[in-house]
Parts: sequence; structure tokens; C-alpha cells
Amino acid sequence: MPHDVSPARLARMLGDTAGCQIDNSTRLLLTFFDSFDWRLHAAGLRLLQVATPLGTVLRLKDAAGSEVVDSIGVVDVPAWPADFPASDLQKKVAGLLEMRVLLPVARVQCEVTDLGVLNEDAKTVVRLQMLRLNCDSAEVSEPRTLWPRLRLVAVKGYEDELAALAARLADEWEWPSAPECLFDEAVAAVGREPGDYSSKLEVPLKPGTMAVDALRKVMRRLLDTLERNIAGARADLDSEFLHDLRVATRRTRSALSQVKHVLPDDVVADFRQRFAWLGQVTGPTRDLDVFLLELPRYRASLPTVMAGDLDVLANRLRAAQQAAQQKLRRELGAAPMRALLDDWRTVLEADELPGEPGWFADLPVERVAGQRIWRMYKKVLKDGRAVVTGGHAEDMHALRKDCKKLRYLIEFFRGLYPAPALKGIIRTLKDLLDNLGDFQDLEVQADTLRGFAREIAEGEGDSLPAVLAIGALVADLLRHQQAAHERFAGCFGAFDTADNHAQYKALFKNGDPQQG
Amino acid sequence: MKILGVYNIKGGVGKTATAVNIAHLAASSGLRTLIWDLDPQAAATFYLRVKPKVKGSMKMLRGKRDLDEVIKGSDYPNLDLLPADFSYRNMDLLLGESKKPALQLLKLLRPLSQHYDLVVLDCPPSISLVSENIFRAADALLLPTIPTTLSLRTMEQLLDFMQGHGLETPVYAFYSMVDRRKRLHLDIISSPADPRCKVLESTIPYATEVERMGLERRPVTDYAPRSTAARAYQALWDEVKVRVGGLRPLSDFNSPF
Repeated sequence: MPHDVSPARLARMLGDTAGCQIDNSTRLLLTFFDSFDWRLHAAGLRLLQVATPLGTVLRLKDAAGSEVVDSIGVVDVPAWPADFPASDLQKKVAGLLEMRVLLPVARVQCEVTDLGVLNEDAKTVVRLQMLRLNCDSAEVSEPRTLWPRLRLVAVKGYEDELAALAARLADEWEWPSAPECLFDEAVAAVGREPGDYSSKLEVPLKPGTMAVDALRKVMRRLLDTLERNIAGARADLDSEFLHDLRVATRRTRSALSQVKHVLPDDVVADFRQRFAWLGQVTGPTRDLDVFLLELPRYRASLPTVMAGDLDVLANRLRAAQQAAQQKLRRELGAAPMRALLDDWRTVLEADELPGEPGWFADLPVERVAGQRIWRMYKKVLKDGRAVVTGGHAEDMHALRKDCKKLRYLIEFFRGLYPAPALKGIIRTLKDLLDNLGDFQDLEVQADTLRGFAREIAEGEGDSLPAVLAIGALVADLLRHQQAAHERFAGCFGAFDTADNHAQYKALFKNGDPQQG
Repeated sequence: MKILGVYNIKGGVGKTATAVNIAHLAASSGLRTLIWDLDPQAAATFYLRVKPKVKGSMKMLRGKRDLDEVIKGSDYPNLDLLPADFSYRNMDLLLGESKKPALQLLKLLRPLSQHYDLVVLDCPPSISLVSENIFRAADALLLPTIPTTLSLRTMEQLLDFMQGHGLETPVYAFYSMVDRRKRLHLDIISSPADPRCKVLESTIPYATEVERMGLERRPVTDYAPRSTAARAYQALWDEVKVRVGGLRPLSDFNSPF
């Protein structure tokens, strides 16, 4: 409805055919929440907290504005679903968010004026709510005014009166109807766009583009991702900020080392070293984050009577994580970090590269991409077959590294290839990586837990229950690790098939300039 | 859904005023509330400005038409009314036709349990098959009682009837239209009542604000919320909701979002 219609004016406008009474005005605060990576929106859901003078509730709605589960009363600002009252809403939101925290996306201050359209008995036959809305968020300095709305609320048994009024508003006054949910309007008003952050690397690339331009485009996207996660990682909002920051760092390092002879050698050498530093300073916190994320699973794997014995470990992990996090916070805000980001952006955005480009810089990107992926694929195939026959743990670790490199290479350049053709090869590679990841990660976890057990045993107090619980946990982890080892041949067999080979060959082999 | 019957064998004891004000307070607190005006005199319907007419009321009482189709919204969010109809004077006969005559009202109300948290029955005076239906449908009976000897006799009559029919619905009596200038009123209030019912602490005074409901056609809790009478109804409702239990109000029932 227009901005210049006050409740009194509306009452006068409606009063020529029926009485209209202005009732109370109340103020509401509506806040939309989602994870940083829009997990609820991706599932077609909107989470809103409505604070009224009577109390505060959380509602979960679909895109059309209908509630999908019953709302729940809450007291605090929602952050972790685990802290919500037990309910269907809690289960649904927790299942979708996993380890991610809820963050406010947009806040709408709403002044609601109730009006009633009356019949000849002065009985309310249609209820009206006039909404005046102002929207803000952490990203905007001044509140933005949204279009005021007039909401028609049916009074049971007076449906004809409602239909007549709705027709009058639409036909005679030409007031357009608005979507039930304010979400899209509020989010747009604060300059956000659903899905404006995703950790998934998807860079559109055109065949024929020079390799150096394509590579810098991919790296710019990685740098954007890295930078967007810094604030959340420093504040430790949830563990995924640091995780995504580290993945972007690893991908950047992999792009620097794997896509050879494109960027100037000096640039590659300098930034490989500096991004390796970033990998190192972010490692300890991430390792502890993983343990904390795994804690519920650890407890569940133990007999109920022992699960509480892990409290000592849990406290130790939390204290260690907090200490590591403090250090990380300093590192991520310090001069070397700022210099790394600034210098790297200069390299990626400068018209001229600082130094002599590599031999492949001017080649079409599809040739460089094909060559690198094809070669890495052949290396994985050869080494994997050797592991199947030899079966040494160290070889499996090396194989995992190569599989990761292969996966990253495919992800950097996925924009060049038809998505359906990539789907199958990415899935088999992911399955193989999951298996190799289980094998290595479970072993590392078991080793680290042994270290914790040793520290706890050497400490003060009765350490025996905690040490025994950790012992049981280590045994369980190693059993799973052994199972992962036993599954390896099957997983690799699913990768090493004639079909998969034909796919790799068709997609990547002709890109190899030495073959072409 | 909880069902609360506001009942007394005697007329003119403040049943309708109690039913309307309690229903209004319940709705304002966030409970989805329905008031069913079962009295053909249609006083509750009048107070809520609805026409005392139910299309197909006979069919409805026989269970051939959903109650939901004839419910009317009131002037208040969350408060709906099932209006009275003059045909209700023959309700005994109609209920008598059904297979389980004493349970017909409950059968008609059951489908509403998804839509309402509380149903308040404004009952006609007298003791009849309609009353027995109300006793069997209700989770609790609220018994407005004027502190006079005759009123206490009708209270005993009711309790005898219930005992005789094996009805265990809790009965909560409260003193209504209390005039504190009258010695008799004060004496009765301070004396122990029939042990078969619980007498609530709250009392409703005799007050002109309540009588004005007929002129205002609104609950006194709406047009004079700070009056002694409105505060007395609030105290009564606070007591009743604890007694009835299991009522969980929505905290954002009138929220546009």
C-alpha cells in the first residue's frame, strides 16, 4: 500500500461504505536467521524470530509463508539449535545446520495497527492490520523503509465481506498484493542475496581463454572465499568458518603447485611459502575443532556407563581449543596476514603480471587443464594399483594426497566441462577419498588421543576412568581404521574401471598438449 | 482442547457474563477459544454482536453438519462463537434421538480439537439431558453461585444429580454477584461449602459495570479492563486455568508473521 496512508486516513477511506474502527498499535521485532552458507534457504525454509509484547517465538516457514512445524517459544537470540527447547522445529533446524551457527540475516521493526471493518451491528467482519516496516542488519548503517502493508485477516463466518473488501483494494484502489513472507524483501533491502556465500567452488570458464586469465579467475574466487571467512574464523562463530578458510588456502596452494608453468616462477615460490604458513597457523585450532565436533560421536561409541568418563578429555579439548583460537585470532588479524591478502590480490587483479609468465600462460585453458588432470589421474591409477598389491599405510597416505590434488584440479576447471559428464567421475573419486580419509584421519585421531591419555595420566587426581575411556575409544577408532583399510580394494576397484577410464580419457586426454 | 461448562440450575446468577468474560480473557492470553452459546435466550451471542441464528441448526445437532461451518468470529482475535439459535429450546428432544444421547455434545465437539485450545459452554439453566451432555463433555464445570440459601440448595441439587449419575467431572464453584454490604452474603462466603465441590477463592462482585455489558455488547474485560469487576474476572480466570491445567497459550497469536 502507499506510504502516505495513515490508519486514520484508511479508516476514512473505508468508512464511506462501512464503519471502520482503529484499535491498538503494537510494535514487533522480526528477525530472519540462517547459517552463513544459507543452509535453511537451500532447503526452501525461512527461520524467523518474532518478538511481540506477549513473548518471543521462533517460526519455521516454507517459501510460500506456511509454517512447516509448530513454532516454539524462546527467550534468547537463537544461535545453536541444541539450545532450543526440544521440538520438531529444533530437530529440523539442527539436522540442516549440522555444525553451523545461526546468524541474523535481516531485522524488521514493525509497527502494527489493528483496524476492524464493521457491519450495521458495529460487529467486526474483517480485521485489518496495517504494517509499517523498517529493515536493518549488521551490514547496513541506516534502516531501510519497506513498503507498508495492509493485511486482511478473515473473521470466521464473514468470508463474503472479506472477498468484497479484497476485490475493492485490488480493483478500485489498485493496491498490489504482496507475498506472504517478508523474507525476500527484507534480505534484498539489506543488500544480501540468498546463496551469496557457498563454499562450493564453481567458476564459469570459457574454452579458449588464456590459461593465465582462467587460473587467476579461479584464484580470485578462492581469495574471495578465504577473505569472507576471516571475520567468522577470528570470532569463532562456528568451526566451519575456519574450515572453509583452510579449504580455500589448500586449494590455492594446490593451484599454485599443480597448475605449473602459468604464473611467474618467483610469484609461485613466494606465495606457496606464504600460503603454507597460513595452513600451519590455522592447523592446531582446526585439529581441536574436529575433536570437539567428534565428541558426541565418541561418547555414543562408548558404553553408557563410560560416556561420562570423557568429561576430563572434553574439558581439556575445550581449554586447548580456546588457547589455540586466541593465538589464531591474533595471527589472522596481524600484519603478515594482511600483507599476504593484499599482495595476493594485487597479483590476481593487476593488468600485468609481476614477472615473466610461464610457458603455458598463453595456451588455451582447456589444454592446460586437460593435461594436468590427465597426468594426475594416471598417477593416481598407477599408485593406487600398487597399494592394492602392496598395501602399505604410507603409500595410502601419499595416494590420498594425489587424489586430493586430482579432485581440486577437476574442481578448478569444472566450468570447462559438461556437468553431467563430471558427475560420475567426481562421485567415484569422492568415495575413494572418503575411504582414504577415514583410514588416515582415524589413525591420526587415535594417536592424538593416546597423547591426551598420557597427559591426563601424568596429571593430578584420579585419572584412571578417563584413561580407560580414551583407551576404549582408541580401540574403537582403530577397529574402524582397519575396516577402512579392508574396504580400500573395493573402493579403488570402483574407481579403476573401464567406464571411468573412458570418461577421463574422453574429457581430459586430448587437452594434453604433448598428446595433441 | 479443554472444555469448560459454565453452569447453574438457576438462572440470573451471572453465567453468561462469566462465560463471555472468561472466554475473552482466555483468547487475549493466546488461547484459541470458542464459546458455544447453548442457551436459546442467546445472551452471549447478543453480547458478542452476532445474529442469534444458526442455519441448519437441527442438522448440526444431529451431527449432519460440521460445527465448524456455523462458527462466527467475534470482534476479538482468537475468540470465536457458536451462536445460539431459538431451536435450541428443543435440544433435549434432538439429543434424545441420537444413539448415545448423553454423549452427543461431546461427539459434536471432538472434531474441533485441532482448532481450539478451550471451549467455553454457556449453558441454559435447568437440569435436563442437555445438562447431562454438558457434564459428560466438560473437563470441568464452573458454577457461579449467588451467596444465598436458595443458590446453595441448587448447588446441592446439582451435586446430588452428578453423584446419582456417577459423574466425576470436577465442579468449581465461585461466589457471584456478591454484595459485601449484605451480612448473609458474607456469612455464606465464610462458611464451609458442600465438600463435593471446590469453592474457588475469587469472587465476582455485584457491579454496574457488569450490567453495562448489555449496552456495550462487549465483555467488561474489554471496555472496562481496570474496573473491579474486570479484575475479579481476571483473578477468577487465573484460578480456573490453573485448576483446568494443560492450557498452553500461543505467544504470538495476533502476529502478522
